[in-house]
Amino acid sequence: MQTDLLTKEFEQSSNQLKSYILRITASVADTEDIMQDTYIKASEKLDTFKGQSSFKTWLFAVASNLAKDNLRARKRWVENVTDMGREAALSHQEFFQEAMHIHATSPQGQFEIKEHITFCFTCIAKSLPLEQQITLLLKEVYEFKVNEIAQIVDTTEAMVKYYLHTGRAKMISIFDNRCALINKQGVCHQCSELNGIFNPKQKFQEEVVKIEMAREAEKGDKEHLFDLRMKVIQAIDPFLSDAAELQLHHLEHNSRVMENYFEKNVV
Amino acid sequence: MATTSTTAENGKAFTVKKTFSRETSVGIDIKAHPSIIWALLTTAPDYPRWNPTVISIEGNIAAGSTIKLKSTLAPKRIFTLKIKEFNPENSLAWGDAMGNRVFTLSKKGTGPVGFSMTEKIGGPLFPLFAKMIPPFDAAFEQFAVALKKEAERIMNTK
Repeated sequence: MQTDLLTKEFEQSSNQLKSYILRITASVADTEDIMQDTYIKASEKLDTFKGQSSFKTWLFAVASNLAKDNLRARKRWVENVTDMGREAALSHQEFFQEAMHIHATSPQGQFEIKEHITFCFTCIAKSLPLEQQITLLLKEVYEFKVNEIAQIVDTTEAMVKYYLHTGRAKMISIFDNRCALINKQGVCHQCSELNGIFNPKQKFQEEVVKIEMAREAEKGDKEHLFDLRMKVIQAIDPFLSDAAELQLHHLEHNSRVMENYFEKNVV
Repeated sequence: MATTSTTAENGKAFTVKKTFSRETSVGIDIKAHPSIIWALLTTAPDYPRWNPTVISIEGNIAAGSTIKLKSTLAPKRIFTLKIKEFNPENSLAWGDAMGNRVFTLSKKGTGPVGFSMTEKIGGPLFPLFAKMIPPFDAAFEQFAVALKKEAERIMNTK
């Protein structure tokens, strides 16, 4: 394959690739670095691409290998990271000053509940073991097939199925315990709290019923609710959406909170 | 270490009682890749999700390490067990001074994987406390059925 063809293929996959790396690293700066490294690595290894997979699958494999070596990607967060992020934000006025500034001045500074659901998924998925997080993202968000994921992460299809099943089960359990959008006993009300701050004129309940996952919550089908959550996430590009800058600000905040947590609790 | 009694493969447990020991075994055929069964057997924190006989396992199930097991058979006790054998996708054994539990996987060509689990407890003082140890049969059957169900469910993931 010629370099100009690589460039073309890379550009076609770059939005998905970039959001995928962000969801693994939770760092905009590291995402940019890994994107550049992916292009360089792919250029260097171009002659090893034999067409046994699609070029997109091959690129995701190159990016996944680089991401797995990234220190921030390897760090595993805690399940209640969003609670910790909330507490830290409440004790540091700068967080809300910065967020309100972004909200007021950026074309990508809106607050939308769906965007927050996506942000929340990114944070909580980082509490899974890395293999589970990566396979879950590849299957549920980027819709790769099991055999393609096996190629990307260089493992067997059986182990991909294991990681997928266990990762999914864990995420369903966490959301069922935490998310008040799908469970009235859920302890996390962050999206309604933030919606009240950024969109004070909106009525939360009127907004929330626009989201199929919330409408279906009473039926209690946890697997289906997780599938609906994945649909929300698939539809949002964390770099291009109307809420991108605000949510990336929240993500960097949680990332710092986790860094501080790791410093205090040698993990 | 991994020598186990011949076990039935229908998920029914059986126990052989002797004066100084007691041995319970169960076997079941599982239509899943051995790596999936092995991953389920060796991922400690995940046990309570799929296995109704386990309340918790702390520690890593790895060669030479020690785990703390809390089981529904004796929920008030914590068993500190050493991993005595760890042959990936083949055999696993843990135990203490009183006894050992051995798990074995045997691949039958392209057919299912034969899973067997045997626990032998005993020693010179066994007759003194034998009556205080509850029977394992029901818990062993639950364990085997739960492992089969979970492994086959994973195998059928699309």
